[in-house]
Amino acid sequence: MIVVDGLTKRFGSKVAVDHLTFSVRSGVVTGFLGPNASGKSTTMRCMLGLDRPNGGTALFDGKPYRTLTRPLSEVGSLLDAGYLHPARSARNHLRWLAASNGFSRRRVDEVLELVGLSSVAGTRVRGFSLGMRQRLGIAAALLGNPHTLLLDEPANGLDPEGIRWIRDVLSHIAGQGATVLVSSHQLSEIALIASDLVVIGQGKLIEQSTVADFVERYAERWVRVRTPQAARLAELLTTAGIDVERQPDSALLDVRGTSSEQVGELAAEHGVVLHELSPQTGSLEDAFLSATADAVVHRSGSPVQGSEP
Amino acid sequence: MIRLLRAEWIKLRTVTMNWVLAIVAIAFPLLVGLLTCYFEADDPDFSSYSLLEATTGPSFVLALLGGVVGIASITGEYGFGTIRPTFAATPSRVRVVLAKGIVAVTSVAVVQALVLAINLTVGPALARGQGAEIDLDQVPTGAVAAGAVVFAAMLTLFGYALGMIMRSTPVAVTVLILWPLLAEGLIGGLLTLITDNDATAEWMPLRAAFNLLAIDDFGIGPSRVQAGLYFTGFSLTLAAIGAWRVARTDA
Repeated sequence: MIVVDGLTKRFGSKVAVDHLTFSVRSGVVTGFLGPNASGKSTTMRCMLGLDRPNGGTALFDGKPYRTLTRPLSEVGSLLDAGYLHPARSARNHLRWLAASNGFSRRRVDEVLELVGLSSVAGTRVRGFSLGMRQRLGIAAALLGNPHTLLLDEPANGLDPEGIRWIRDVLSHIAGQGATVLVSSHQLSEIALIASDLVVIGQGKLIEQSTVADFVERYAERWVRVRTPQAARLAELLTTAGIDVERQPDSALLDVRGTSSEQVGELAAEHGVVLHELSPQTGSLEDAFLSATADAVVHRSGSPVQGSEP
Repeated sequence: MIRLLRAEWIKLRTVTMNWVLAIVAIAFPLLVGLLTCYFEADDPDFSSYSLLEATTGPSFVLALLGGVVGIASITGEYGFGTIRPTFAATPSRVRVVLAKGIVAVTSVAVVQALVLAINLTVGPALARGQGAEIDLDQVPTGAVAAGAVVFAAMLTLFGYALGMIMRSTPVAVTVLILWPLLAEGLIGGLLTLITDNDATAEWMPLRAAFNLLAIDDFGIGPSRVQAGLYFTGFSLTLAAIGAWRVARTDA
């Protein structure tokens, strides 16, 4: 269990994390989401005591990180796959980490095997791809077999096999009762592995809930209807004051602001044949974009054609 | 603490640059010392004093490179970002800083002692082979050798302290080199002018530290023991400031 209470971090006049309070329960994967520059990485660094917070606390099973005597056996973390000395081999990188917390050399070889880097264990990491560095970072996080994991973008740079592997690993670890907090911009991945969400924007908590509740609350919902009498049904729905979207000459209708039951009853009442009547819900991505719309710091431009260069 | 020392030792010996520095630091005083003993020993003026000078003098280079190792042992961590996994693995920063310092200083001191041991064993044999009469008991061999080991150890600590304060390898190495050449020269000169006493400049920290390597006692400035204590205190003070900075700021 992780409990973050009133965490605040300022860099000069800029408030990166603003009285952030949330908790992460054991036994499930919790997604930590937020737009760029929302304070996710700073929050994680503060939780681990790497950045000095200006206020607030972060407790791991009731204890601040700095009081853990063998922290790697309690909290595994991956903040940035680039935190490696390029002249050091993968095995030596893990060996100094293992030595600092009293783990055996055998454990180093075990985690290298686990992340699929055994064949390059003696290779200097300067030749590693981003995906290989990411795997090494994950190996370091798993070195002490910890019951809490804090991972910042763990799937970044991984190939499809690696992405599936990290998904399975995190689900397995969480299934064994561990506490797993994963930050990611790959919302489709989060939707697959996370049960809970912590969403922040501009350093403040936007939402803490289950993924299902978050999507339910923020994503758009509508009813999709496929009928050979689309024009007739559209007219009936419009007359009833219901918002209908229909492509010209299409049998498909997207109906908003009502339930599938209401649409079905209306169609039945007027003898309209339906081939499909299904409630639709937006994705986690839709919900995320909706929830964080006011908290985006770096907003992208519209992908319209510009002038000739 | 043993775990931390082991971790820092692994870090130190798994970086190629440290091996390159070690090879240069070992090879230079050995080559200069032993070649001098071999080729100069047939000179009638070559004495025990000459031999001690030839075998211990070049160890200054080893000490200076030790300072660079001291710098890189901490600036490398900040430069490559490995300071974050380091502090994540050991949240007590003071213990990390202490372990790093102990490993760097001890390693350089041991290497310096070994190089001096080789030079002071093989050098006299080579010189005697060329007909020179060498009696190392006639010169302060033990004191100079011990002073050279302390000098190397404390210059490493001095570099390590600069690294902690500057957190940048080029800046810290520049300061390490310019400190004795420029900073102490200017400040020492100024102090001499103000106090109208030539001995004042001799108390500049690094200039004083060179008395650790001196064969002669010129009776000006600190004695060998005073110089050792003074430079050790100075380096420890700087290291304490550096450790405070490392402990207080974001990693």
